[in-house]
Amino acid sequence: MKLRSMLALLLVFTMAFGLSALAAEFDQSQTIAVVSREEGSGTRGAFIELTGIATKDAAGAEIDNTYAEADFVNGTSLVMTTVSFNEYAVGYASLSSVEGNGTIKALKVNGVAATTENILNGTYAIARPFNIVTVDAMQDPSALDFLAFIMSKEGQAVVADNKLVTVTTDAAPGYVASNLSGSVTVGGSTSVAPVMEKLKEAYEALNPGVKVDIQSTGSTAGVINALNGTYQIGMASRSLKDSELASGAKGIVLAMDGICVIVHPANPLEDITLEQVRQVFIGEITTWADLNI
Amino acid sequence: MRWLFLASACVCILAVAVICAFLFVNGMPFFTKYSVIEFLTGTTWAPLRNVFGILPMIVGSFYVTMGALLIGAPIGILTAILMARFANSTVVKVMKPAVALLAGIPSIVYGFFGLMLLVPLIRVNFGGTGKSVLVASILLSIMILPTIIQTSEAALGAVPNSYYEGSLALGATHESSVFRTILPAARPGIVSGVVLALGRAIGETTAIIMVAGNNARMPVDLLKGVRTLTVNVLMEMGYAADLHAQSLIATGVVLFVIIMAINFLFSFLNRRRVMQ
Repeated sequence: MKLRSMLALLLVFTMAFGLSALAAEFDQSQTIAVVSREEGSGTRGAFIELTGIATKDAAGAEIDNTYAEADFVNGTSLVMTTVSFNEYAVGYASLSSVEGNGTIKALKVNGVAATTENILNGTYAIARPFNIVTVDAMQDPSALDFLAFIMSKEGQAVVADNKLVTVTTDAAPGYVASNLSGSVTVGGSTSVAPVMEKLKEAYEALNPGVKVDIQSTGSTAGVINALNGTYQIGMASRSLKDSELASGAKGIVLAMDGICVIVHPANPLEDITLEQVRQVFIGEITTWADLNI
Repeated sequence: MRWLFLASACVCILAVAVICAFLFVNGMPFFTKYSVIEFLTGTTWAPLRNVFGILPMIVGSFYVTMGALLIGAPIGILTAILMARFANSTVVKVMKPAVALLAGIPSIVYGFFGLMLLVPLIRVNFGGTGKSVLVASILLSIMILPTIIQTSEAALGAVPNSYYEGSLALGATHESSVFRTILPAARPGIVSGVVLALGRAIGETTAIIMVAGNNARMPVDLLKGVRTLTVNVLMEMGYAADLHAQSLIATGVVLFVIIMAINFLFSFLNRRRVMQ
């Protein structure tokens, strides 16, 4: 009997703990749980520049003022998972990954919603290019053919299907299947990877002999490995730095993508100004109540 | 046949030697370009500005590991004593496979478990973001439990029963006999189990990266985030270049030295006991 009553007591405690997590009211006095990305992330690099979180010191070097107490995760999907599990979290992720994901909510920035139309007409403030990175020395026929497919009308149609803003004009050439065989390694940004997967599927359907391998390691890793030949094609979700261009990296803009500021669906906030975004992510504004004033 | 055993042992020693050599050969050039003292005592980690101070990560690893041992070692040792000397055979028959199963769970699954269950639990009940030294310690303690339980149970089982029977014959109670005669006799085995668990805790990466917050600054609070040496290497190795990459290998050297130091310390402590 004693064992049974102990088990019952344990069950009650667990239930009490668990039920306390189901609190319905959104408590405005709670601290904002800021979620950020690792340093090599292209999304982070673009985000800190576009929102003013990054400043320049006296020597002209860039200083990243991201809040030191933020939660640093290494991947787009991890940001979305973290925010979806915490009502008081805020993070940032690529629009192409956020769109259609019902577990998180994208905020309007300066009253402008994060949509492809608003990125195209320039009203959405936080937009950055997706870059395909290659080097002149990379002459692998399968990789060059895959690149031709990506920049063709068919490839751009796949990009447009994935809620990204294409940059090529209607003069994009049509693609003719080459029936080559070989393997191509594409690696880099976790934000670009989803659309690259769709491009790979479409390409492999036309060219069964070529095998495309996609690795999600982060934008800076993508550029570095494209430069040293580990990847034939690199993916970066930001513009290339001067040092990278000087080392021989060539970037082709695949599409424009927006970075959404995401919160949990239970969060009543709908709109945030760009200045408030900066203040939240450098740690000046710390509670949800401070944001609503 | 003897040559087969010798060859196997040589492969083992060769593996350790190669890893050791790789670490030191690739890590030493870093120390010619960056001061060792500044590396080990610097409190700022800003690799993109060429500032490499890993003291925050060393302290972070230390806190998380000590926390895990403080929680996990007593629970593990007491569980082992239960399974060896106090429980009846049906309980032991259920517990043994349960502990073995716990040992077999992959680290990433522990990480998901921590992220989806422990982090919200701590966040709701203690405040903050939930990703903290506390959660990392709790998760690690669960991960090291099987190691401690299995080695401690083996150590307790190896103690001759005559110790226990002699104590009973002198009039001691069952509990007293177990804790005063069997446990001290099993101490070397239990200590080596704890050292193994410590080694696993210090080296754990995939589970910690999901629950610890990964803030590259000195740990400030039990309920605030922390970054360990291993997580630092994992997060940055993908994109590190030149000096940055070398600094991460140098971090590996530091980890290696720490583990070797702990092993030597404990083997020294054990030797004294055996001689007594």
